[in-house]
Amino acid sequence: MLRRGDYLVFLATLLLLPWLYFTLWGDQRAGAYAQILVGGDQQALVSLHQPQTIEVEGALGLSILEIVDGKIRFITSACQGKQCIHRGWINLGGEVVSCLPNQVSIAILGGEQRFDAINF
Amino acid sequence: MSELGYRQILTQPRDHRIAWWAALAITIHIVESALPSPIPGLKLGLANVVVIAVLMLYGWRDALWVALLRVLVGSLLIGTFLTPTFILSLSGAVASMLALGIAYYFSRLLPNWALGALGYSVLAAQAHMLGQFTAAYLLLIPHPALFKLLPVLMTAALVFGVISGMIATAMINNVEKRAHSGTSG
Amino acid sequence: MRYLLLLIMVLALSGCDHPSAHSHKQQMYVFGTLVEVIIWTEDEAAATEAMSQLSAQFQRQHQQWHPWEAGELHTFNQQLTTGEPAPIPDVIAPLLQRASELSVASGGLFDPSLGQLVKLWGFSDNLVNATQPPDAEQLADFIKQAPHISDLEINNGLAQSHNPLLYLDFGGFAKGYAVDRAIETLRQMGFDNAIVNAGGDLRAIGSKDEWPWRIGIRNPRGEGLIASLQISGDESVFTSGDYERFYDYQGKRYHHIIDPRSGYPAEGFSSVTILHHDAATADAAATALLVAGPEQWREVAKKMGLSQVMVITPRGEISMSPAMVERIRFEVSPEPDVNVVDW
Repeated sequence: MLRRGDYLVFLATLLLLPWLYFTLWGDQRAGAYAQILVGGDQQALVSLHQPQTIEVEGALGLSILEIVDGKIRFITSACQGKQCIHRGWINLGGEVVSCLPNQVSIAILGGEQRFDAINF
Repeated sequence: MSELGYRQILTQPRDHRIAWWAALAITIHIVESALPSPIPGLKLGLANVVVIAVLMLYGWRDALWVALLRVLVGSLLIGTFLTPTFILSLSGAVASMLALGIAYYFSRLLPNWALGALGYSVLAAQAHMLGQFTAAYLLLIPHPALFKLLPVLMTAALVFGVISGMIATAMINNVEKRAHSGTSG
Repeated sequence: MRYLLLLIMVLALSGCDHPSAHSHKQQMYVFGTLVEVIIWTEDEAAATEAMSQLSAQFQRQHQQWHPWEAGELHTFNQQLTTGEPAPIPDVIAPLLQRASELSVASGGLFDPSLGQLVKLWGFSDNLVNATQPPDAEQLADFIKQAPHISDLEINNGLAQSHNPLLYLDFGGFAKGYAVDRAIETLRQMGFDNAIVNAGGDLRAIGSKDEWPWRIGIRNPRGEGLIASLQISGDESVFTSGDYERFYDYQGKRYHHIIDPRSGYPAEGFSSVTILHHDAATADAAATALLVAGPEQWREVAKKMGLSQVMVITPRGEISMSPAMVERIRFEVSPEPDVNVVDW
């Protein structure tokens, strides 16, 4: 025999449990947003969950960024060395990739931020 | 009483009752602890059945006594007193009693929305698991990976909560039946 | 209900003791790279002030130490190429002293006199200015007459170069040296818990109250991290790699760490990670060991007084000193095999 209060408890539990699975079993380290900075100032905050290409105007010219599958990278840039492109995809909280000559950088926000700094 | 300062401890019927139920809970606890557990910290929580039954029959305070006695005496008898297992057990018991306390008084205030044995059981089991998990994370294994275990543990708590709830219901019905047949006899 | 419970438990167990200090971070484009400074403090205003001071300090150093653009070092270099004695500028003297010591300790594998060689390859000033390797003959000619820091004679604040090809470029350790100076400045300003991260190479002091600084180490091949470690106290983590600055030409990759003996980019390791107290040593050491390669690295590590080193070959083979094994925690699974070697 179930009382009304019992239904409340079940409801709460049936809401809590899926939420726990979703939150804790997802890849926590992956960031939710990419912060795009030009010359050190934030120009945009973009969601990593939406595939898109972004054009950014920097000190030297155009950098084009691509977001696919929760990751982001430079695909073209106005610099000569193209180190930003060589860096490849980033997606973990705290990771940064920048085109120094063009003064464009991308920082991943959110995610678990397990580290205070990344050495490379 | 006497000049030597000897005081006799007078026991009330309530004390007998609590002692009896606590003994039952402790026995179940000890038997259950002999069973192997697939995941550390995962206990069927059958002793909770007793706590819920006492809660519904005699109120929250009695249930609190039984719960605490179960943890303390149980650990003393098994030999885990003041070990990490004990800390976990105690955290779980405190957490579930707090939750039950809130639910109990909530049920008194709003009788239309009162909980039954099943609701209390599930609530107690979930709170118990959360309490144990928190203690384990903060005091024993502060590792983020532990969180991966939590959804599974809480699901198990739900299942065992339902099972204990059903057993508690049966137990309560039994006791009430006897009480009625006793007084009407 | 449940959350209230959780909150009560957490508060009770943590003693209701929440620190009010937190991380203040700022990124700056200075010194030819992206520098991030993190200060752990309650004083937001002081932290902001510190950031702008550091930014100014880095800008100054960048200009003073630049081998090719107008500044003290450039002028000094010009004077040295004449072969006449030249006064050592105050802002260069300590840099030169330290670099010379490190060069000797590294057996010449780190050498600040090779500015011309770096320029030939197009890697001056933290940039990639070339798309193809220099002419082989040009390189051969250079190597024949290769300069060494020992070609610089120093007497009483005057320096004289005995090799016209000698050109000072402190690139191989300037970042480390600047990081050390930055940490000094922060300490003088009263901050004992901070990280100065210059383009991925960093020095961390103190901790975040009871929590150590957590540092991730990038995977030299592939995405994500290969390992992590914790620092509390005062330590530098520097990694030199063949993946940081490079260009591809006709199917071959040319990276920025040139072996002074061959004149070509060093081969043998894809990355070297050094854990050491001061950043200048760590920086020079990372460069020197990458150049040393699998045959010689232990010898050089010993000479330079290093105890915590991790090296990775292009094939992904990892070797570490015993002290490094204690510090490193792998972030990839399955965990890679490690050769533990000592010296």
